[in-house]
Amino acid sequence: MLATLLSTTLVALEGRVIRVEVDVAPGLPGFTIVGLGDASIREARERVRGALRNSGFVHPPRRITVNLAPADVPKTGPSADLAIAIGILIGSEQFTARAGRAALIGEVSLGGEVRPVPGLLPMVAALARRGVRRVIVPAQGADEASLVGGLEVVPVATVAEAVDALRSRRRKAPARPERVELASGRVDGLGARGHVLVEATPVPDLAEVRGQAEARRALEVALAGGHGLLMIGPPGTGKTMLARTIPGLLPPLSDEESLAATIVASVSGEAPIRSLVRTPPFRAPHHTSSYAAIVGGGPRLQPGEVTRADGGVLFLDELTEFSRDVLESLRQPLEDGRVTIVRASGATTLPARFQLVAATNPCPCGYAGDETRCTCAEGVPQRYVGRISGPLRDRIDIWVTLSRVQGRAMVAATEPESSDVVAARIASARDVQRARLGGRLNARLSGRALRAHAAMSAETNRRLADLADSEKLSGRGTERLLRVGRTVADLAGSWSVEIEHLEEAARWRPPSTRPLVALAV
Amino acid sequence: MLGVGTGAPAAGVRAVTREDREALAVLLAVEGLGPMTLGRLVDAAGSPVGVLELARHSKAIDLLVDASRPSGDGERAMPADVAVRIVESLRSGDRTLREIERLHLSLVVPDDREYPRRLLAIEVPPPGLFVRGSLEALAADHVVGVVGTRHPSPSGRRIASRIGAALVRAGATVVSGLAVGIDGAAHAAVVAEGGRTVAFIGGGHARLYPTAHDRLADAIVEKGGAVVSEYAPFTEPSRGTFPQRNRLISGASDAVVVVEAGARSGALVTASWALEQGRECFVVPGPIDAPTAAGCNGFLRDWHDLAKIVSGIPQLLDDLGLAAEAGLPVLQAPDPTPQSGTAIVSSRVKLPSASSVLRNSEPAERSVAEAIVHGAVTADELVAVTRLSIGAVLGALTRLESRGLVRAIHGRYEPVGPLAGVDPMAA
Repeated sequence: MLATLLSTTLVALEGRVIRVEVDVAPGLPGFTIVGLGDASIREARERVRGALRNSGFVHPPRRITVNLAPADVPKTGPSADLAIAIGILIGSEQFTARAGRAALIGEVSLGGEVRPVPGLLPMVAALARRGVRRVIVPAQGADEASLVGGLEVVPVATVAEAVDALRSRRRKAPARPERVELASGRVDGLGARGHVLVEATPVPDLAEVRGQAEARRALEVALAGGHGLLMIGPPGTGKTMLARTIPGLLPPLSDEESLAATIVASVSGEAPIRSLVRTPPFRAPHHTSSYAAIVGGGPRLQPGEVTRADGGVLFLDELTEFSRDVLESLRQPLEDGRVTIVRASGATTLPARFQLVAATNPCPCGYAGDETRCTCAEGVPQRYVGRISGPLRDRIDIWVTLSRVQGRAMVAATEPESSDVVAARIASARDVQRARLGGRLNARLSGRALRAHAAMSAETNRRLADLADSEKLSGRGTERLLRVGRTVADLAGSWSVEIEHLEEAARWRPPSTRPLVALAV
Repeated sequence: MLGVGTGAPAAGVRAVTREDREALAVLLAVEGLGPMTLGRLVDAAGSPVGVLELARHSKAIDLLVDASRPSGDGERAMPADVAVRIVESLRSGDRTLREIERLHLSLVVPDDREYPRRLLAIEVPPPGLFVRGSLEALAADHVVGVVGTRHPSPSGRRIASRIGAALVRAGATVVSGLAVGIDGAAHAAVVAEGGRTVAFIGGGHARLYPTAHDRLADAIVEKGGAVVSEYAPFTEPSRGTFPQRNRLISGASDAVVVVEAGARSGALVTASWALEQGRECFVVPGPIDAPTAAGCNGFLRDWHDLAKIVSGIPQLLDDLGLAAEAGLPVLQAPDPTPQSGTAIVSSRVKLPSASSVLRNSEPAERSVAEAIVHGAVTADELVAVTRLSIGAVLGALTRLESRGLVRAIHGRYEPVGPLAGVDPMAA
């Protein structure tokens, strides 16, 4: 007999509804799955066989054919396991399901447990959009699936529980206490946009960073305007520590951003999702990361770090140590806020609106500027930072150099500001930017909009030209100066960009554009 | 056709023909042909052109080797392979001449009026100097070499800048070696003052080293100074050329000041040359546990009878006899009888005070600049000392940088130009 059930698969960040047709027919015993499944779907045969046997059901010694439709969508992952298992039980008439279409998502184990799968949120959302009223999901994914309103979520821990749930509409498991409802209208907004959840290590407070007033200020300005930031300094000066405070400095995500972030977190499957992700993602891939790890890809089109950092910060520590390919791959995301993964079967575009924060040593040994410790040959430190290629250079608005904090500065420094204080300033500067026409952060303003929003007086304009001249800035460099100046002005609550704002912003230019006065190295 | 030959003949000395100059330039480019041997060859052949005539002869190698032989001593003739290279230079010489033209170099020979007179007095004066710019500055009454380590401390860099600025203000010409570190700081301070300085480099002009100082070299020439090499343009700088070059830095100077030098620093070679050539040698002492002072302190100990200590910039100018001549303001001489052990400061030169340099600065700029003069180097320290907000400090730094008073290096700020010459003790 033929059984037809619904399940889903993932295509990049989107769920796709698939129909699972199971035909249990007389004939030579066999088990075939057709419909463009990947290796993990072919292996579903073995898992399902074991799961049925060990749950007290019979794996029928008949000719079983499973078809996953539509046949032209490649299916990946174990999310259809549960639907296949239940389909065999219905097809071999081991139980009779209630009328009405049910959808099932979940991987099964040989012991018959139902395991969570990554990407549950977008998959359930896809079912909701299709008008499915009831979905059976792995118990561990209940919270995540419940984020989608408009359909009943039935969590099951085993295949046997799934059978029970289908026999009767009454669930045995008690309803989950905290159910985060999402307005049903918003469900339609679920699309190929995402974020990542990282709540691994506790976020340090900015008050724990001693000294480095210049770098703290640079970080504040960068976060306020969404500017790319590069911190250059010897080991132990607090570059990484400063970067780690970022999650505590950024304002929480808006509803829309949050949903997108939660979807990426769901697809990444790094940690169970209990509620919407409200903290902006902070991704810090290691410099040995591969191209695919950064950009995304792999057989299942996994989102890469650039997508996982969407809406938040991508922190590249030891920037100059990343492979050239990886750094070049950042070009498109930095320009367009998205990344396109092209493969023979077609191109997929994923969101990647991250803010770049990077850190590097000033030279290979790390101690340039510290004559007693730097072991690099002459000219090497100058060339080291120069290795950062053009496109990336252009996208880094703020360059800041850190030097070792001297003992007396540690003592003299007043109590450093805490993250809360700085975060409040950042949030209000961002509000100001959002309230402007277009509502974009300064880092993403077009050159024209930037000029318009700068509202500079003639005198300020002249100073900008002076600064650009004296530092031999290119057109792009001048724009970068104005861009950062706009953010400094926003932090100061100034409607127009004034000379003092530009002069502060001028500190953050790349090292190569130092004025000619510094002739001797 | 060539830039070779701009040198005017000194009075009473035979004019050097352009052909001879070109021939000399070609011969100077021959690897392994030192000034002594070259001198003997020229003497034997009558002129540089004569040497190249010999090289055209069918038995050129033998003739050249014979000509290089010191009278009565058969063992020290030049090796045959150098003679071979002289013959080869007949063909390769054009390349050297073209490069001389391209780089706008002039070849100055001892017979020229502009050949530095102090160099004529050293043991082996270079037979030719490839000069970019003008050597006029070396004819000044006072020429002082300022040398030191390539890896200075911020304080050493500051001292080099101050000495350079003070010397040029006092009317002296500063000579150094264009190296990174102390040399560069001294040159740059002079250039910032709009003064003339001369850099002797340790390789050919076409192999300018260090490349990081190419703009500094341009600026030196632009301000009327010169970049000078005794090596032909394509000569690679090497381990051997620098110590040779050092004898020119000391030789062209009346006195040499060593600012900072590690235990094995090349600056000590220059200092030793200075003593050997009968020049005065001043050494800035340092803490006994600082690696950048080890060479200085060691030299002072080893040559305590000859080397002099720099106890302060005014004192240095005084010791050099520069104060009176420069017509600088002379301080009232303090009470000659020291009371309760207070030392008499023999300072008669007054360096500009911070307030005079910062006359036209607004308050934030002024307090940041003063903090830097007093030794604050990081933004943290500036914020702590000035009690300004970080934003105000950064803005002030940009303005000071635009005015050429401060520069940032590796996250530290240091005074340059007029501010580097400021006396931190002056009110």
